[in-house]
Amino acid sequence: MRRLTVLVTYDSIRPVRWNIDYHSGVPVYLQLVQQVQSAVAAGTLRDGDQLPSVRVLAEQLRINRNTIARAYQALEAEGVIANRQGAGCFVTASVTPLRRSVRTERLAAAIDGVIVQAHNLQVTGDTLRSLLDERLRRFKASKGGES
Amino acid sequence: MTSEGAVIEIDDLHVRYGKAEAVRGLRLRVEPGRCHALFGRNGAGKTTTLKALLGLAPVDRGTLRLFGLDPWAQEAQVKGRLAFVPDAPGFYPWMSVREALEYAASFRPRWNRELEQHLLAKFGLDPAAPAKGLSRGEKTQLALIAAIAADPELLILDEPTSGLDPIVRRQFVEAVISAFQDRNPERRTLLISTHLISELEGVIDSFTVVDGGRDVMTLGADEARGRFQRIRGWFEDQAPASFPIRTLQPPRREGRMLEVLVDHQPEEAHRWLTAAGASRVEATALSLEEIFLTAAARTP
Repeated sequence: MRRLTVLVTYDSIRPVRWNIDYHSGVPVYLQLVQQVQSAVAAGTLRDGDQLPSVRVLAEQLRINRNTIARAYQALEAEGVIANRQGAGCFVTASVTPLRRSVRTERLAAAIDGVIVQAHNLQVTGDTLRSLLDERLRRFKASKGGES
Repeated sequence: MTSEGAVIEIDDLHVRYGKAEAVRGLRLRVEPGRCHALFGRNGAGKTTTLKALLGLAPVDRGTLRLFGLDPWAQEAQVKGRLAFVPDAPGFYPWMSVREALEYAASFRPRWNRELEQHLLAKFGLDPAAPAKGLSRGEKTQLALIAAIAADPELLILDEPTSGLDPIVRRQFVEAVISAFQDRNPERRTLLISTHLISELEGVIDSFTVVDGGRDVMTLGADEARGRFQRIRGWFEDQAPASFPIRTLQPPRREGRMLEVLVDHQPEEAHRWLTAAGASRVEATALSLEEIFLTAAARTP
């Protein structure tokens, strides 16, 4: 039991999967911003959770401190986190609009991929739309009584 | 015409070494709080440029400004605000590590004793050890401690990690991030000359590729990775025989796959491949090292 408690505590202080991919072509600070946004959207980061300090995260990821500071500033400007003088950065957004926009963006990217495929397979927009409806119906039916 | 705010400003720099002109019209501008790297092959003119900045090589022609000041006419004001770690630092052989640091501190009004102790412990250097018995890596570590403890606004590193083992290189980069950037990181400026780029990938904000004594390319790191991309498209049948957009290298065609290397607007290449019927298109940004290698390959 004791060991389990320790594991849970360890996990609870690392709710963000910090990972810099230099081959993505996405600016490094923006990758950090998106990772925090995703963690908030997924609910692994919640209102009141503390983010690692700029120093700790910079050393861990071996990136420039100013890059982390820039990411935190952007998140602060979006109202996702608040910088409490001396105490650190804390999540303030369990705000639904952000979570919705992040989710929508994600889905939009996946749908774009499908549209490109449909185009290459010479499937028309109407066929694609009716296919989507059909799949949605099937998905709902498979979930049965759940709503 | 000095624009305000730049920590380093070099314009049309020419430096002659004997008969050879090592630097031929180089330009460089570094803003405060930035980490700027000079990439270049050996003999490209990186070290000579740094030497000119430090007043160690005579300027033939051109302008040099550090903190908006003339580093030759206002030497004392300029030198008090910067620190330099050469590629192969030397110390008086009769001194111990402790004495070498005391000696360095005697020239510096703002010596950070606490940081010095912290770094000595981090690197595991024995203060009583004689300087002459130090390995190359330990000498570089000692020089870095002396440079960072001096609390400079500008830290200049010449090939800081070449000849060091991977663990020492890693410690070195961490020390730069954690110790040098510790207070007021927005005002700590770093100029690094290197050809070992990958370990500094996340630290570098912007870079200049130096070749033949000239700056051949200056870009922000994020901008560079956004522009230099390798794009692959997979087709149902044979890949198209030609590609209409300018590429860095001739397009590579392998059966159903076409691979191109572009240095601007990768979305355009992406779109063309999709429109040409690729069923899958994959884009990979080049690392700074790969970008340097392609830039170096293009200059004769």
